[in-house]
Formats: sequence, C-alpha cells, structure tokens
Amino acid sequence: MATKRRVAVLGARYAAGLIGIGIVVVAVGGAAIVPWPTLVREAPSTLVTPVAGDQMRVCPGPLLTLAEDSTQADAATSVGSYTAVYAARGAETNADEVPVERTELAATDNAQAERDGAPSVLTVPIEDGATEAPLVAGSQSQTATSETLGGLAAAACTEASSDSWLVSGSTDVGRTSLVLLSNPTTVVASVDLAVYGEAGLVDAPGSTGILVQPGSQRIVSLAGLAPNLRSPVVHVTATGGQVAATLQQSLIRGIQPGGVELSGPTTTPATAQTIPGVVVSEVGAETSVDVGAVSDDTPTVRVLVPGTTDATVSVGVQSEDGTSSGTSLETEIQAGIATEIPLTGVVAGNYTVKLNSDQPVVAAAVTTATGSAGADFAWASAAASQDGDFLVSVAGGSSPALHLANTSGSDSELTLTPVSQSAGVDISVAAGQSVVVPVAASETYLLSGGEGIAASVSYSGDGQASSFTLSPIGPLAAAIPVYSH
Amino acid sequence: MQARVTAIIVARNGASHLERTLEALRRQTRQPDTVIAVDCGSSDTTSELLAAFGPTHLISADANLSFGAAINVATQVMSPPDGDHQLLWLLAQDSAPAIGALENLVGELEIAPSVAVAGPKVMEWVADDYIHDFGQSMTPYGATVTLVESELDQEQHDGMSDVLAVSAGGMLVRHSVWDKLGGFDPALPIVDDSLDFCVRVRLAGYRVSVVAAARVSSAGDGVAGPDGSSRGRASRRRVRAERSAQLHRRLVYAPAWALPVHWISLIPLAFLRAIGDLLRKEPGAILGEFSAAFAAAFRGGRVSTARRRLAATRTLGWSSISSLRVSAAEVRRRHALTREAALTGARGDRPEVRFFAGGGAWTLLAAAVVGVAILAPLLGAQSLTGGGLLPLSATVGDLWANVGYGWRDIGLGFIGGADPFAVVLAILGTLTFWSPSFALVLVYLLALPLAAIGAWMATTRLTHRGSLRAIAAVLWALSPTFLTAIAAGRPAAIIVHLLLPWLFFAGFAAARSWSASGSAALLFAAIVACAPSLAPALLVGWLLCVLVSGRSVMRFVGIPLPALALAIPLLWNQALRGNWLALLADPGVPVPTAAVPIWQFILGFPAGDFGGWTQLLPLWGGDAAVAGYLVPLLLVPMAVLALMALLLPGARGAALALVAALLGLGTAILAGSLSVAALGAQAVGIWPGAGLSLYWLGLVGAVVFAGRGLHRIAIAPLVATAVALAVVSLPLAAALPLGTSVVEEGIGRSQPAFVTAEAAVESRVGTLQIVPQPDGGILATIVRGSGVRLDVESTLNSTAGTVTAEQEELATLAGNLASQSGLDASADLAKFGIRFVLLLPPAEEPVGWGDTATITQAASDTLTRTTTSLDGNAALAPVGDTAFGRLWRSDAPTDAAVNGQIPADAGGVFGLVTGLIAVFVIGATVLLSVPTGAGREAVRQAHRDAIRRASRLSKPPKPTRVARPSKPARPKRVKRPVGRRAKGVGPGIEESATPAPAEPTSPAEPTSTAEPTAAADTTSPKDADHGN
Repeated sequence: MATKRRVAVLGARYAAGLIGIGIVVVAVGGAAIVPWPTLVREAPSTLVTPVAGDQMRVCPGPLLTLAEDSTQADAATSVGSYTAVYAARGAETNADEVPVERTELAATDNAQAERDGAPSVLTVPIEDGATEAPLVAGSQSQTATSETLGGLAAAACTEASSDSWLVSGSTDVGRTSLVLLSNPTTVVASVDLAVYGEAGLVDAPGSTGILVQPGSQRIVSLAGLAPNLRSPVVHVTATGGQVAATLQQSLIRGIQPGGVELSGPTTTPATAQTIPGVVVSEVGAETSVDVGAVSDDTPTVRVLVPGTTDATVSVGVQSEDGTSSGTSLETEIQAGIATEIPLTGVVAGNYTVKLNSDQPVVAAAVTTATGSAGADFAWASAAASQDGDFLVSVAGGSSPALHLANTSGSDSELTLTPVSQSAGVDISVAAGQSVVVPVAASETYLLSGGEGIAASVSYSGDGQASSFTLSPIGPLAAAIPVYSH
Repeated sequence: MQARVTAIIVARNGASHLERTLEALRRQTRQPDTVIAVDCGSSDTTSELLAAFGPTHLISADANLSFGAAINVATQVMSPPDGDHQLLWLLAQDSAPAIGALENLVGELEIAPSVAVAGPKVMEWVADDYIHDFGQSMTPYGATVTLVESELDQEQHDGMSDVLAVSAGGMLVRHSVWDKLGGFDPALPIVDDSLDFCVRVRLAGYRVSVVAAARVSSAGDGVAGPDGSSRGRASRRRVRAERSAQLHRRLVYAPAWALPVHWISLIPLAFLRAIGDLLRKEPGAILGEFSAAFAAAFRGGRVSTARRRLAATRTLGWSSISSLRVSAAEVRRRHALTREAALTGARGDRPEVRFFAGGGAWTLLAAAVVGVAILAPLLGAQSLTGGGLLPLSATVGDLWANVGYGWRDIGLGFIGGADPFAVVLAILGTLTFWSPSFALVLVYLLALPLAAIGAWMATTRLTHRGSLRAIAAVLWALSPTFLTAIAAGRPAAIIVHLLLPWLFFAGFAAARSWSASGSAALLFAAIVACAPSLAPALLVGWLLCVLVSGRSVMRFVGIPLPALALAIPLLWNQALRGNWLALLADPGVPVPTAAVPIWQFILGFPAGDFGGWTQLLPLWGGDAAVAGYLVPLLLVPMAVLALMALLLPGARGAALALVAALLGLGTAILAGSLSVAALGAQAVGIWPGAGLSLYWLGLVGAVVFAGRGLHRIAIAPLVATAVALAVVSLPLAAALPLGTSVVEEGIGRSQPAFVTAEAAVESRVGTLQIVPQPDGGILATIVRGSGVRLDVESTLNSTAGTVTAEQEELATLAGNLASQSGLDASADLAKFGIRFVLLLPPAEEPVGWGDTATITQAASDTLTRTTTSLDGNAALAPVGDTAFGRLWRSDAPTDAAVNGQIPADAGGVFGLVTGLIAVFVIGATVLLSVPTGAGREAVRQAHRDAIRRASRLSKPPKPTRVARPSKPARPKRVKRPVGRRAKGVGPGIEESATPAPAEPTSPAEPTSTAEPTAAADTTSPKDADHGN
C-alpha cells in the first residue's frame, strides 16, 4: 500500500519535472529561434548648412624651371607668364556676374616673379544676406617654348585644402617634378608630404613640417625628397592654414623638351573614381615600340590604395565620342604601392576612365600627344561630381573641349551657356555615359543642371596637350548633420 | 449591612465565549443578587444566550458602545445606590470567573470599607495557569504599566493587595463611588478606562486593591480592555488606542501651567516616536501615532470635561499615589528585560550562517586572490576610464548636488530629474569621501570577492552544506555576464550582479522580518536604479511574492516603494515627454553596442563572441569555429544540473529558480532588441548583462537545488560544472591582461590639461567637444569645467527625442565651425561661454566582443574637414594635439553670465517636494532595515501567542493543530539543529503566528526542529535537505 502510494508520488513528481524541463527547453529554444523585432530610436539631429563664406581660388602661377647651375639646384625660376580666365556669378538662376578680386601671392622661391607674375588668388566676397556661395571658376594656361620646357600646361584655379592627393609626376631620369604649395589663408600652414612610390611609402627626410607662410607659395622639388621614382603619388596634408597644391611635371626626351603639365589635386580616396577627359591621340610615326614592351606613350592609369588592405580594382575605359564601347580590365593593387595600369590597345579618341574598387583608391591618367612641333603629355585627374550649376572658365589654348561624365543613375539634361551670351546649347548625357563638347578658349560658361556630373577640360593641338578637372565647391562647405547628445 | 451585588455582563457578538462565562457565573459560590445583561447590538446568538440565562434585566444597546458606556446604560435601569453596600461587578462576555471569585471580591470590600474597587487576578482564557494581567500602575511619567502580565501563575504575586489600578474586566466597585466619579471617562473607550477610573478613585480618597484569590479568565475579546488579537489590524488599533489614552491622560493629569508645553510637544513627539516605531519594526503603529497626536491636540473638549470631572472629585494630592507608581528603577529594569527578549528574538530570526565553519571565509579569500590576480593592472589606480566608466564629481557635496530633481549639468544643461543611479553613485562616493572616484576602483577590486560572498550568503538560505555554498559562489563570481561587465566597464551592471544575491537573501526572510523587508526594499531600489531594465522582471517576482505571502503581505507590498520614490522626478519628466520606454535606458555613460545573437544570451554572454573565445583560439593556433561547439559543450553540465533539479526533491524551489532564470533571459532579450538612447548618430542599446545576471541567478539557484537533491553524489558533477565554467570564462576573466578590456587606469582628468588648468581658475569654462560620427555628421556638446562626470550623466539627455532651440543654435555654431563658413563664430562662442574647442577622435562603430573597432571613411573625412575648418577659423587659435584630441582656444571674451551658470534653485518646489518624499521614504526604509530587534509591543504579543500555543498543546482534547510526530526513519534530522529555526517559537518576535508561505522562491518549508524553550512544533519535518 505504502509502496504503491510512493510509486504514484514519485511518478507524479517525475512527470511534473519532465513537463517543467520541457517548458524550459521550449521557452529557451523558442527564444533563440523567434526573430525578435527590434526597436531603435532614431537620434535627433540638426542638418546645418554652413553660412556661405568668401570664395577663394588659387591659380598655381607661371611654369617654373630649376636652375641649371648645380649650386642652386633647388632654386626655381619662372619661364614666361601665364594667362588666367575667371568669372563669378551668384548661385541663383538669374543672378548677375559678380566682380572677382585678384591678388597675387608672394612667390618667395621664384626669383623671376616680378617679371612673370606670381600665383593669383581669386577672391569673391560673399554678399550680405546671401545664403548660398557664389559660383566661381578660374583657370590658367601657358605655353612654354624654352630649351628645357615645351608644351601646353593648363590648370584650374583650385580651393585650398588641408588634405589633397597629387597623382602625377615622376622623378625618373629626364623628368622634373615640382610641388607648388600656395597658402592663400591668413594662417601659416605646416605641410606634410607623404610620397608613395612603386616600392611603397618613401621615407623622405624634410618632407614634413614644410612651412608655408600666409599669402605665399613654396616650391618643393620632388626629386629632392624622393629621387628616381617612376610613379609617385603625393599626399599633401596641411595643418594650420590650408594650401592649394599643384604638381608641375616636365619631361625632356633626349635633348628635346617632351612636354610640361600642371596637375591639380585628384579626388580624395573613394571606392569609385571617375576620370573624364582622357584624350588619346594618334601614336606618332616616329615612336617605335618594342614588341611586348609598354611604351612611355601608352595611356596609363596610376592608382594608389592608401589603406592597408590590398584592393581589387576594375578599370573601365568608356568612349566619350559614342563610337567605340571601350574596354575593361580587373587587377589586384597592393596597398600603399603606387601602381601604373597601362591602357594598351586603346585607339585615339576621348575616354572616361572609371575605377571601381573594394578599397578606397586615388587615381589619375596620363596620355601623350606627339606632333610635328614636339611632344606633350596631359594628366587627367579623377573628378568629383558636381552638385548643381557650375561655371567653367576655359583658359586660352588650342581646341579646348569640355568632357562631361554622368555619374548619377539618371539621364541629365544640361544647358551650356557662355557667360557673355544669353543663348545656350542643350546637352543630354545618359546615365553612366559621357560626352565631349567643344568650347571656345578664353570664355567662361555656365553649365546648369550639372548634378552628378564629373567634368574636365582638355586641350589638344599639334604636340600640345593639357587637361584640368573642374572641382565642385569644397566638401568643407557641404551641409553636415549635427547631433546634440 | 449585607452587600448587594449587581453583576453587569456586557456582550458584543460573544457567543463563543459567553457560554463559558454564563456557566461560570451560575456556579459562583456567592451568586450576584441582580444580573443585568447588556447586549451591544450582537448579530449572533448572544442575545439568545443572555436571555436563556435569565438576567434581571436584558438591555439591547448600540453596537458601538464602549465598555464604560455600556455599564452606564446598565446603571440607569437600577435604582440609585442608598449606601456603600451596593456593589457593581463589571463583567464582559469573556470574563469567566472562577467559582469563588465573587465571594472573595465581595469579602475584600466588606472587610475594608476604604476599598472602593477590588480587582481579580485575570487569567488567560485557554491557558488558565497563566496570568493575563494582575494589577495596573503608572510610571512617574504616567505611562501605563501592567504589574504582572503573561506569567505562569505560581502564586508568586498573591501577596499583592493595594495597587494603583485594576483592569476593567471582573472589577468589583461600589455603586456609590461609581456614580460619584461618573464612571469611566468616555474619552477612554478602550484602553486605560479602568486605570483612569482607579486613579480618580484613589484621588477621591478610596483604596483600590487586588484579590489574588479571585480569578477571572479573559480571552481578550476587546469588550473590556483592548482586543488581544495578534491580527495586524487589531494590533494597530490597540496601539493607537493606547497612545491616545496616554496622551489624553497626560493632558488631564497635567497641572494647568504645563498644558501648553504638553500641547506643543504633541506633534513633534509623534515624529520622534514614529522613528522609534520604525526602529522597533512596527511601521503599522506610525499612523496611529499621528492620529492619536492630532486627536489629542484638536479635541480639547474631552480634556477639559475630564479635567473638570477629576477636579470635582479629587480630595487628595497627586503625592498620595506616588508610592503606588512604578519606580523609575523598576521601569528601567522592565525595559532591560524587554530589550533582552527583543534581541533574543532578533537573533532567533537569523539563519545559521556559520560563516567561518561553513567555508565562507575560505571562499572569500579565494575570490579575493583571483580578483586581485585578474585586476592586477588596476592596482594603485585612483580612478578608472573606458567603456561606461568616468570619474565621479570631486567632492561629496557635488555628488549629492547631482541627485534628485534639479539642474542636470550635461551639455547645455537643463532642469530635470536625475537618474536614481546618481543616488547609488553618491552613496558609493560618500564611502570614499576623500576621493569619490576611488569608490569605483574599490568596486572593481572588490568585485569578485563581493560577488562570491553575496552568492555564498544567498545560498545559506537554501542549504547548510559548505560545498554547495562554495560552488554557488564560484558559479556566481565567474559568471560570464559579470566578467563581461567588468571588462566592458559597466559599473551599474557590476553593482547589480553584486546586489542580486543579497536581494534574494533579504527577500527570503522578508516574510518573517520587517528588518529583512526593509533591506529588500533598499536593495530593490538600488538594483532598479542601476538597471531599470530589470524592473519589469523584479516587479513580476514581487507580485508573485505579494500574491502568495498571505498574512505577511504587508512586509512585501512596500518593497518597490523606495525605488519608486527615487524615480518620481524621472517618471515625471519622461511622462511629460510621453517616452515611457526611455525609463528602461541604462543610466551612466551611453555606450553604443553591437547587436548580439539571442543564443549568445542563452549561453550567458551579453556581448557575444563566446566571451572572446573566437578571438583567443586563433591566437593559440586554433580554429575560431571550434569555439562554436566547445563553449556550449562546456556549459552543458550546468544546464543539465539546472534542469535535473526539476526531477529531484526540492523541485518546487528549482522551478521557481528556473522561472527567475526565464524572466532574466526575457529581460536580456528585450534589452538586446531595444535601443532607447542615442549617442550622436549611434543608437545606444540597453545592456543585456543585467537581465543575464538574473538569468544566471536562477540557473545557479537551480544548480544548488540539484546539488541538494543529489546529496553526496552531487560533488563530482558540481565541481566539473565549476571547472568547466572557469574554462569558459577564461578570456573574459583575463580581459585586462589580454588587452580586450576597455577599462584602464584613469589619469585623473577627462579633459586636456590645458582645459583642466583653466577650469581650476574658472570652474564653468566651456569646451565644445566635437566627435565625428560614422555617418559623416558630428556630435557637438558643451562640457563645462573639468569634464563630464559619471554622476552627471542623465538618461533624460541621452533619450531625448527632440532638439531644443538652444541646442539647435549650438548645432548651427558647431556645424559652421566644422565647415568652411562665412559665419563669424566669436559672438556665438562667447554667447555659449565656449573657450575651447576639442576635436575628439571619430566615434567607432560598435563591434562584437574582442574585435577591433572600425572607423568609417565618412567619419575620418569629417575629422579632416573639421580639423581643416577649425584650423582656418580666425576666431580660434590652435593649441595642439592632446591625449584626448586636437584642441583650439577661443580668445573671444566669454560672458559667463549669458550661458553656463547653474541657475539657483533650479529644482524649485517640485524638486524640494520630490526630494523630501525620497528622503522620507528612504529614511523610513533605512530605519526599518536596521536590525534593532523588536519593540515592547511585539515582545508582549509574542509572549501571549506563545502562551496560547503552549496551552493549546497542553490540552489534548482541543488541539487546533496536531504536531506530526517525527518520523522514526529519520532520526538524524532531529538530532542536528538546522539553519533556520522553527517559526512561532517564544522569542521569535517578528515572526507571524502562523507559518506563512515564506519567500516564494524558497522551497524550504519551515523546518522541523523547534527551539527547546518552546513547546510548539507546528510544522512537519518534511523538508528533505535540512539536517544532512
């Protein structure tokens, strides 16, 4: 009797226990399986559009040459003067032109600045009550015909920045590269140059702490910092004041000048880069190319992965003429190694080079033009997309052309109007496509509806080539979300 | 002349006792000449019983008549007395006189004509060998003293004759004196009516004496004298009546010149006595204390009537009765005896901890050694930083200034309620008043030993086995959630983990002890203050306790009160915003966390990644994927043991433990899926670790039950469980040496030295701190003085859903400073009192445990942009790079009066009122939690209860509960006394009379072994564990 009861009690206890275990296991297991909804409270923020400030552009100034006297190897002197074209207008649709104040920087490193002129600063003061910054554009050009320099060099007048990438230049034999650092601000700038080469970051004494006094330009010979580099990439960082950095590269082929180019900063590292206006010209007859070797004249894209992770980069070459479809290739780029990707087999024409990478990269493309009067080369830097209407100032030079690459996902309808005239030309650019439009030299155009457009201006003539990109107003003035807690 | 006795029986719903009383009356050797029965509106068979007895008069009276008034009703039907030989015998329904009682009483009055009142020896109703009361007196200050009370009658007091007073029930009084003095004072309806009457009798020149030979049994029905029931309501009413009576008599007896003094002192005295009530663990008496004081103060008519009545009959001076008062020395002696009994009671309530014999000391020592070993890098630190750690305010005064409703000095500052956590920090900081920040270092260094000892103590409630206690301590101290909280710098979560076992420890005893109930309330408040996310789970547990607590429900209902009192300002603010979920936000520094999969919670890891094994294994050359099955495998023994407890004896307790675990897990899952706060662009989730601490508490509890159920064979699996857990927790425990911990020794400041130096001169100097956010935006806040302190942080700030106009203005300034802008910042900088701009490193995206945090490209671009813009800003001069970030200085003269000054009296009336409420509630709870033993009333009550139980058992024919005989099969249970004493023993002062269903999470029935002094054994020895 007693045992029976005991068995029953035990049985009941075990049954209850097993049910309990079941409940716990189901509850815990269920909790793990059920997709729990999440509730996230959005942080409140204020989108602050900065008050528009005075606009300032720096034109890099006359072309320079290093003294032949070896005792003054670092002294640079200018060769001839340059011409600049610039204009400004209000940001509104029917705004008037605004006067531009032009001042000169102190070119302390240039002994001939008195004669040839110094770098200019274009200043457009903000009008009282204006909420948007005025549109400003300026560019300069100079054709050199000296013994050591020859060719056309055009450059955009750019904003000063604390962080810029110069993807161009070379300190190989016969090549001269000068870094021009212009400080238009009122604060002394301490500039650090980080030079990446084909073997990685170059340990260059004297490349840091270069002081650029307010309102002056310093000229630094890249060869003095990093000699014998075929493909340098220079990262310019400024603290204190900001600098407009430009790299002047010149080339001597044998005893003939092989061209000169002023190249401005390319865009900051990003996983997608667009280089519009890569103009490939007919290969000169006298240029002989060994079979299997890559000629100096082959259009080349220079790429650097600034990070620490190797990148897989796909390079797409897209025609701007609407004729051929272009090519595409994919390559592995080692981090920190400036790498040149030759674009072999590209026929003459205008192209937009697009890079897509899994890591942020900086890039620019170089092309060579050989003519009867000599040879020249042009650096086309990556261009950032515009965020609206913009001005294009086309400095003097032979057959300038405006290259427009649509980086947005929708077709763009643009109107190109010379500032001096009222009638404009309508241009349509399909999504992801590019066009090339011939423009007149020494003229300023207003391009309206330019959202998502990466633009550059190229010059091509007989043995003359140059290019500059049009940068949107600096990211420093873009609207920024501000969180209060 | 022959004495003529009129017996007056007053009855009110007293059928159960009346029968015996009437029978005893019938059997009197000296029969009363007249019997008048007064039925006070009874609804039971009382009137039939009275009618059947056949009294001379049967009067039906109003139900709410007091005893004195009922007697007066009876005397009205009698003819007025024509001499001293007419006697009134005052009886209540429960005054059962012994056979010769009336004869002896009448004899006393006949022998001595000067005696006007004679009182019997009042015995207990059921235990009639115990004296209920015998003679009354007063102290020199007028407090009532019952001369003999609740004593075993060994005729030791039979020599007494002249006393100051006797109790009302069974009193024999001369009718003429009764009429002359006007009977009992109507202002004393329950208590002290006879005392006051006898005093007046004495002052009128008569004598009062007791007659030991006359014995009357009393059941304490509350008809004559107070209701003797131990029920909470009756006892509260009794206490109130006693106090009212005492105050009334004080005002009546006092000389006229002293009246104002007494009157003014009434209310202040009530406050003082309320504190005393709390210390005596009689919170129920407080209300009565005040109502008695107010009644005495504002019902002066009764006092003046009574004073006139006294003056009219008084013939002797007060000095005439001074010899009958109890001397001061005697009062002291009696108090000492009570205190002794109370302390015995308090001790008797405590479980047998055996801290040293049970291995507690060794556990503490071992945990301290392990704690020092893993936290060695922090030895010698004065403050800690990293994760959720910041220094505390520099002085104790500042700490307490950040408590309650008032100015929250974070960012631009605002008026609002502080987090209750600020109170916890203030208390901690006060402990190390010389350097408040050091309190957090102490919490860190003592964390492991404190956790171990907390768990050890909590386990003493469940088992006396040292091995089980030690294992529980190890499982608790090495819990992954605790070690993660230490490594991740979560002070609130650490404190929660330290306090949870103590909450169980206190809550377990709360059913029996006011002191434990008070402690549980304080611990509840502290835990909820540290981890508001635990509040729902704890409230569910509390509700369960309230529902099953039965008679001790009062000791549970108040437990959440202190937590509520602390949270009132915050509740108010969040209610105004309609943002109720924000109440769950973790207090302290908002720390963004990465999402963690639920199954990591189930394994006990609040931050995921198997507590760092996925990072550690590759370092040792292993495969990270191994962690995916190795760690769960190592935790299997614990899960199996916890679940197995459901099949073993003590399954009910284990089930409750597992319910707690599920509540904790639910809390963690809820916390993991909720983000109610934000830091810049990043959402700040609720730390799931607090919920996991509760989860772990339940699991460890279930394991302890399993260990109990398995007896000796439990040791091996338990040790295996503990060792496996130690292996699992290795990467977390070693987080500091491995470098995966974010906690580091503080450098004593949270701002660049340059700013700190400036703040030393100007304490409200403003620094604009800018942190680039992962989405490319910036977080811009103003920091005043030497930096943000942990106690200044406010969830009202971190959970705000809108931007105020002032914040927007600051945002505009910061946005322009971070951009190339045409704005002249100097005016705005001056307006906000900003002297410095500090650009901090970009905010890192939260990642899993042990992974290196990443900074988005957008954030580093914003860093560059902001650096450039600030460098180029003419209003700012660069100071340079500091340990905290890049610093700029503004030389614009700041007008501190515009912004940055803390407004005086920011909290206003609301702050004052809520502050007072909090102080009042917390103060009362602290007083209640102080284990001072029990009050006199409780001692008295306990004595009475013990007597009743004793008599019940000594009378086999009428037992209410039969004690089950001990099972002979388990003799050793009886042989060894166990952890807890039985309920209901003599000095168990705070214990309720019946074995209440104790703490619901307790499986343990009241134990079997009774205190040797008590004859009671009301419970059965069915608990399986205690005793072996």
